[in-house]
Amino acid sequence: MDAGRHPLIDVVTNAEVIGCSGEPGAFRVRVRKNPRYVREDLCVACGLCVDACPQVGGNEFDVGLKARKAIHRPFPQSVPAAYAVDRDACLNLLGFLSEKQRKRLEKMRKVKQRKQGDYRAAPILVCGHCSDACDVDAIDFDMRPEEFEVDAGAILVAVGFREFDARKLGNYGYGRFPDVVTSLELERMLNASGVTQGHVIRPSDRKTPERIVFVQCVGARGEGGRGYCSRFCCMNAVKDSMLVRQHDPEVQDITILYTDLRAFGKGFDDFVKRSHDEQSARYVRGRPAKIEHVAETGTLEVFVENTLAHEQTRIEADMVVLSVAAAPNDGAAELAETLGIELDRYGFIARKDPAVSAVETSRDGVYVAGSAVGPQVIPDCVSQASAAAARAQRYLTGHRFEEEAVPVEPMDLSGPPRVGVLVCHCGVNIAGVLDVEELAAYAGTLPDVAVAQTHLFACSSTGQDELVELIRDHGVNRIVVAACTPRTHEPIFKETCARIGFNPYLLEMVNIRDQCSWVHAKHAVEAQTKARALIRMGIAKARHLSPLHEGEVPMTRSALIVGGGIAGIAAATDLAVQGLPVTLVEKTDRLGGRLAQPNLKLLYPTMRSAQEVLDEKIKRLKKSGARILLNTEVEGVTGFVGNFEAKLAGAVDERLAVGAIILAFGADLYEPGTEYGYRNRDNVVTSEELERAFFGDADTVDIEAFCARPDGAEPKSASFILCVGSRDPEGFSGCSRYCCPTAIKQAMELCRRGIDTTVFYRDIRTISTGAEEMYREARGMGVLFVRIPPGDKPEIVGKKRAEGVRCYDDLLGREIEVPTDLIVLSVGMKPRQPATDSFHDMLKASVDLSGYFLERHPELAPVETAVEGVFLAGTVQGPKDIVDTVAQASAAAAKASVLLAFDKVKLDPMIAGVSREQCRACGACVDICPFHAPELVEENGVVAARINGSLCKGCGTCGSWCPSGAITCEHFTDRQVHAMIDAFFEPEPCSDVRVAVEGQVVT
Amino acid sequence: MSATRSGNSRPARKKAVPTAKGAAPTWNPNLVVFACNWCSYAGADTAGVSRIQHQPYFRLIRVMCSGRIQPGFVLRAFEKGADGVLVSGCHFGDCHYVNGNERAVEQFKKTMDVVKLLGIDEGRLRLEWISAAEGARFAQVINEFTDQVRALGPSPLSNGRQAADVPAVKGVAIDG
Repeated sequence: MDAGRHPLIDVVTNAEVIGCSGEPGAFRVRVRKNPRYVREDLCVACGLCVDACPQVGGNEFDVGLKARKAIHRPFPQSVPAAYAVDRDACLNLLGFLSEKQRKRLEKMRKVKQRKQGDYRAAPILVCGHCSDACDVDAIDFDMRPEEFEVDAGAILVAVGFREFDARKLGNYGYGRFPDVVTSLELERMLNASGVTQGHVIRPSDRKTPERIVFVQCVGARGEGGRGYCSRFCCMNAVKDSMLVRQHDPEVQDITILYTDLRAFGKGFDDFVKRSHDEQSARYVRGRPAKIEHVAETGTLEVFVENTLAHEQTRIEADMVVLSVAAAPNDGAAELAETLGIELDRYGFIARKDPAVSAVETSRDGVYVAGSAVGPQVIPDCVSQASAAAARAQRYLTGHRFEEEAVPVEPMDLSGPPRVGVLVCHCGVNIAGVLDVEELAAYAGTLPDVAVAQTHLFACSSTGQDELVELIRDHGVNRIVVAACTPRTHEPIFKETCARIGFNPYLLEMVNIRDQCSWVHAKHAVEAQTKARALIRMGIAKARHLSPLHEGEVPMTRSALIVGGGIAGIAAATDLAVQGLPVTLVEKTDRLGGRLAQPNLKLLYPTMRSAQEVLDEKIKRLKKSGARILLNTEVEGVTGFVGNFEAKLAGAVDERLAVGAIILAFGADLYEPGTEYGYRNRDNVVTSEELERAFFGDADTVDIEAFCARPDGAEPKSASFILCVGSRDPEGFSGCSRYCCPTAIKQAMELCRRGIDTTVFYRDIRTISTGAEEMYREARGMGVLFVRIPPGDKPEIVGKKRAEGVRCYDDLLGREIEVPTDLIVLSVGMKPRQPATDSFHDMLKASVDLSGYFLERHPELAPVETAVEGVFLAGTVQGPKDIVDTVAQASAAAAKASVLLAFDKVKLDPMIAGVSREQCRACGACVDICPFHAPELVEENGVVAARINGSLCKGCGTCGSWCPSGAITCEHFTDRQVHAMIDAFFEPEPCSDVRVAVEGQVVT
Repeated sequence: MSATRSGNSRPARKKAVPTAKGAAPTWNPNLVVFACNWCSYAGADTAGVSRIQHQPYFRLIRVMCSGRIQPGFVLRAFEKGADGVLVSGCHFGDCHYVNGNERAVEQFKKTMDVVKLLGIDEGRLRLEWISAAEGARFAQVINEFTDQVRALGPSPLSNGRQAADVPAVKGVAIDG
């Protein structure tokens, strides 16, 4: 919705890229826009055509669970809102043809299309119901594919994925048994406004299934020729099982068949724990051999070996949900060919080196984001999208958006309120249920209403003209538009007002379509009464509206990056290449953080040298022109967005003014202390120490340093213990994400050197690109993997030095002891201290329960904090690996650059304000505001709260909490809300409106 | 193809003017619904887009965040004669303003205390979380709450006023 409305974003739907030439900074992209047979500029999305359409077709949005008309809106919130004609269903586009004829016609069309680049639709309209029904003549069957060229500095590929076709796995019976459904089909059922309104039904008899089985990894992790892990399915199954339980208590039993539970994200493990606590599902480790249909009972039978209970079982189920993996999207290969970029072995878009940049493809100037590169979870997709935007910006400098100056003389709107009312028919959307003329007439009788008119489509250009006329000719100083929802259409009316100098905050919208005529269609009388009341309330509020003016504060167009690790380097580079002044502050005497030697040797999964990657990144940083301050610390920060002042100490001593701050100081590694005898046994080391040992002699691992054997012989075996300091109910309950693949990488390295290696794990979470394949390779090499039950910890045998590991092997079902010469503890991450605490104090950015900085919203704003102008890059926000860190750092840079693009910060005037006279300085507002906008300020000896307009987001919570009523929440003031409440209960002034208003109403 | 109609002079459809006929015995409550801009108001819109029908006896007042809904708003609604008040916002963890809905809960508890103190049945005041996608849930909550308040009868503070807003017509109960 935001993208559709953005003045600088053109959304071209139904389109494909058919050619691309040029070079980074000056691409020419050829686009073919296929016809939707509905003119986007005319369609008002009223839906009349749908009612008229006689033809029903398939519905890909509801994955075939529901039929839809040939003319349709793809889904309720689609952008553009215009309807579209389904070429495979519309009679005009198919004619009355048999299946065979249709196929031949399709073939002919394709041939023609190839030859001529376009073709005509069927020349004679066999059906005209939709165009007859359309009030605005938006339907046009003469539309042809249009081709045009777009100049582009950079290209961003975000084609997503499609779900794996479960039909390919015949043993699961998808497509043969109706009650075997995919996770996407279940998702549509669970959607409250979806096909079954949130009820889970069994497709075969539409009854609620009592027993549901989820099958994980369908088409992933080795099945169906795909080696990768699909990342999102585990959590999706856990979430769905909980939702099903909440919606339908009739569902008795849910079983999830899994291999490893990959709850790797922030808070994911806690979510799984909740599922265990609530017993929403039974977890069985195993992958079914087959699913059979039992004809007698009409149910399904899942044949599976429970690998933890060591038994082959048959689970009876009423419905089976296949958690299908992500597969490369249709057309991705063609697009890659057109754009000249490479694909990986599965057909996803390949990246040059994800550790250097998570979004660069094999061609300069072409970037990729989201699941086009392989399965991703939403927060990572959003980070990558911002990262791709940041990288693309380097080719767009010079094309920056200059705000058009609108030299409009503000109108004089003073004096007592004179309200102008415009009531919209919206075709028959409103007028089909409500008597619109009567509403206008009624509005005309209400106090302070100067004029009330109606219009067929108030949002159309003629409607906007009428609004202008209304303001100019009738001298009104308040406007009430009774039409649809302000959430979509208020900006249109506001812009029109602003264009002629009418303060747009003197406009109030009344929603008589979405929340009245559409939902009370069967009860016209009550709906009419409701509409009258809503209009009465809207007018009452409008009478109390006051003009508001957008404020602005200056923006210091420069950024401070705290931390010189890989995250800080990536963020600083992306900002500096755009020509913005960037200062990177590093506490130590070198850049690189954990990547720098002697900390890290090889990066998984590419096995590139960490130093090489780092050198490349540092080279880019130095070239970008960023100012790098080593041996420097940030001692204090004051100020707010656009106007921060940081006190730097160390190599330089200065006060630095910046507009935005990116926190990228990383995380610490967990210290095991005496756990597993780390302190008192020489041959127990951490994964970091082992990594350092790899920097010894190239051929032999220098593990003697840790584990001199008493008999002087070469060490023969090594053991890895995973989840040390992670997934610990008493410590950090989350997953550290990086340790599984790192341990596998190190185990393979030891294995290659002839050392028997065993990895003790709870769940192997190889979720990043290439990691699952590495896991498979490690098993093939002979690395032993021993699964231990989640609650257990392995025991170390041996007094002075570790001689073996004793534990319960979950898969063998018995206690085992593995002799070992070396124990490697794969330590997790923990928030870096005292940096986290001190920046938390200085910036007031919140931290979460595990002590990491809290993002503003996990999906919508993964790199932003609640404090405007402060962004998060890398592990300050939570554990992640290098690929994800680099993506997030670029995302933070992109978000910061949006702010820094302007020399002023515009302030929304719909915010809170304090009356100093009424404030008694209790500080309640200061305590509750998550954005730290209010502060207590002493002025002329009087202490009172003051709200910083650049921090206030306008939620109004402080206004509700202020005990003395000193806080006003603009546009939603107490007076305005009270006026609405009062207006609701005012008796209608006249029982017969029509008589009373004769002569007053202008229509 | 239909003829193009332009301008604003579409003939009025003569229907739905409240008249005195059809008086039905069922009493219908007057309900005030407070909704936050980002979730519940959007949820009500989604109900509209999906044409999910529900009972029409509520009037919705939009605020930016459920945290804005102070006890005074609710009490004023009861004072003026509301038979029921519904406060709605985003689900926990979904608040557009980090934790405004948590503040809304605190405010709601305070409000509920006063409401009970005033002798108003606690069934007349309700708190619900409705997301922007939950159009069906919005409709369901409205129907449930309308039935719930209808069962309680007119509010003692409504001064015996019967459905002030439905002057002539006493509608029948509508199921969805």
